[in-house]
Amino acid sequence: MKVLTLEPLTRVEGHGRVDLILQHGELHDVRVSLNEPLRLFEGLLLGRSFAEVPALVCRICSICTAVHRVASARALEQALGVTVPPAAEVVRELLVLGGHLASHALHLFCLVLPDLAGTPDILTLARDGHPLAVAGLELKRLGNRIQEVAGGRIIHPINVEVGGILYRPSPQATAELAGSLARWQETLPGLLDSFLDPGSYPSAAPAVGTRLAVAGDGKLVLGGDFLSLSDGRRIPVSDYRELLGERVVSHSQAKQSGSRQQVWLTGALARHELAGRDSVRLPPGIYGNNGAQARELSLTLARCSSLLEELGRFPGDAPLLVPVKPDGGMGTAAMEAPRGLLIHHYVLDEFGRVAIADIVTPTAVNQVAMELQLLEDLRGVIDEEELRRRAAWIIRAFDPCISCAVHIIKGPGDPVCSGRILKGRSSAD
Amino acid sequence: MPPLRFGYARFASCSGCQLALLNSEDALPQLARRLEPVFFGLINSATDPGGALDLVLVEGSISRPEDLTELLALRRRARVLVAVGACALTGGINALGRTDRFTLCRKVYGEGAEARPTFPPQPLERFVPVDLGLPGCPPETAELVALFGALERGGLPLLPDYPVCMECRQRENLCLLIERRQPCLGPITLAGCEARCPSFGVICEGCRGLVPEANRAEAFRLLLDAGLGEREIRSRMGRFIGEGA
Repeated sequence: MKVLTLEPLTRVEGHGRVDLILQHGELHDVRVSLNEPLRLFEGLLLGRSFAEVPALVCRICSICTAVHRVASARALEQALGVTVPPAAEVVRELLVLGGHLASHALHLFCLVLPDLAGTPDILTLARDGHPLAVAGLELKRLGNRIQEVAGGRIIHPINVEVGGILYRPSPQATAELAGSLARWQETLPGLLDSFLDPGSYPSAAPAVGTRLAVAGDGKLVLGGDFLSLSDGRRIPVSDYRELLGERVVSHSQAKQSGSRQQVWLTGALARHELAGRDSVRLPPGIYGNNGAQARELSLTLARCSSLLEELGRFPGDAPLLVPVKPDGGMGTAAMEAPRGLLIHHYVLDEFGRVAIADIVTPTAVNQVAMELQLLEDLRGVIDEEELRRRAAWIIRAFDPCISCAVHIIKGPGDPVCSGRILKGRSSAD
Repeated sequence: MPPLRFGYARFASCSGCQLALLNSEDALPQLARRLEPVFFGLINSATDPGGALDLVLVEGSISRPEDLTELLALRRRARVLVAVGACALTGGINALGRTDRFTLCRKVYGEGAEARPTFPPQPLERFVPVDLGLPGCPPETAELVALFGALERGGLPLLPDYPVCMECRQRENLCLLIERRQPCLGPITLAGCEARCPSFGVICEGCRGLVPEANRAEAFRLLLDAGLGEREIRSRMGRFIGEGA
């Protein structure tokens, strides 16, 4: 037996490692480890006021910061029985979509493009004035600008609190954005071809896993009360724990969802398929995730434009924030992060302090799918250099976000290594 | 002039500081001409060949023995080592929840806790000399770009040592603390962000850390006036300075 180790994984967010276990020269098994330092977020929220939560949890991850902030606010609003004013919902959606735009642009143009262009990094491409890289950086900047206008800051936005938003973006800023969005809708399609072209990628097995996304009506959906599965089921978000069965595994710092028998796939590809957008041809296998992200870039631009129009129709004194009184309660919010399903769940005590916090991130959900996809795609490959190269491509196609995945974990007396599925965890201690 | 050989290392953090650097989209081509990234895992797949470095940027706090080993090795290689962001400077958000780490890990990993040695997240300065600290959660993109410019000229950038209130007054903002009685941390927080949050009418959360000689007692009193309870004040004031309860 021989083990090929890829460590550190590069051009992905966070510290990860892949062990390819070979037997008689052939790939026999795979282990994906997410080995970030512990963050213990769910633990450090305990006992804090609900009002502090959004500003803390957005710091789980900088790429997904907007969606963490909004998802936590939504879960807490549900727990406290608060309804957010409609104008605030519009600004929040704009913020989250700005995050999707920046994240997809970062992934495709900064992390994947070097593979297609055969260079080590985006810096080389930017230096040499590679047209796609230059345009991609501009697109990423647009996503950042949307987040800055809607959220006040690109990384760790400040505008979202429990109860709504704190201020309305200035008319000058939204008018400038609307202009940029209109220009981009004309130029964007020309930038996406190489990510959609099956010829850009190695050969691939079909993508593994039951697709999982927030249920919607075929449009670009960011949040909702039901989860949609490719086996035809529709599950209320509040049943997420029974569905996902997260467990502690010995080789990873992240909780794992599912098992080799029940594999989940979440992310742009799952959203694409579950929304019935199959008509567009995507690259094969898991590389379809890159293609689906490219498709979402177009949808996101269009949606941002209509949100800006919608925002303009609210009167200048439209309410943005409702007062929130500390109280007890329980709330669960599911949202689509750029990388897939994100769940925030909180229980508050009678003083509005966090008694239980549970956060499920897309990369933790996809962990098993990454392992199986490597096994499926690399079956029969014997050249070690090719194994390494293609394994890196496959992992990258999932667009993992390892900081998010290891926000971490609790689970009363959970046996480690036994693989027992945790059900009905009801206490933080 | 040969390009600056630099490395970007990251420990317990959210990657926000390196993302803030990558958000300098229009400066990247110019930076790319002057920098030689020896290791920068988020964006670069090249293998680290070892050897001396002009600059190492370090993001995140140290919370595991292997992180410490790596930090010491980086310090030996680096002419200039810069701690980037609150986690590297004070422990930041990671240092919250100062419960007994082992108990917490035991809860997380059960009997396997011993196999995952970890200690309370520490700022870099506990272990190695740090040549410069760029404050912020995250630091401003312009500060990161300015750092490279200053280093190329053989120096280090000069950072403000006065509070956010100075910049806030320069921008002629309404004082949220005095005039709106909102719990703004501007008076005790290091400037350099151009009073970003108060300029949107949003209180300063103190992400750039304490200004030298901060009058914390007076700030505490003002926050009590703004209607916060003692427990929440301690929690908010300590959030980015490694003192969070």
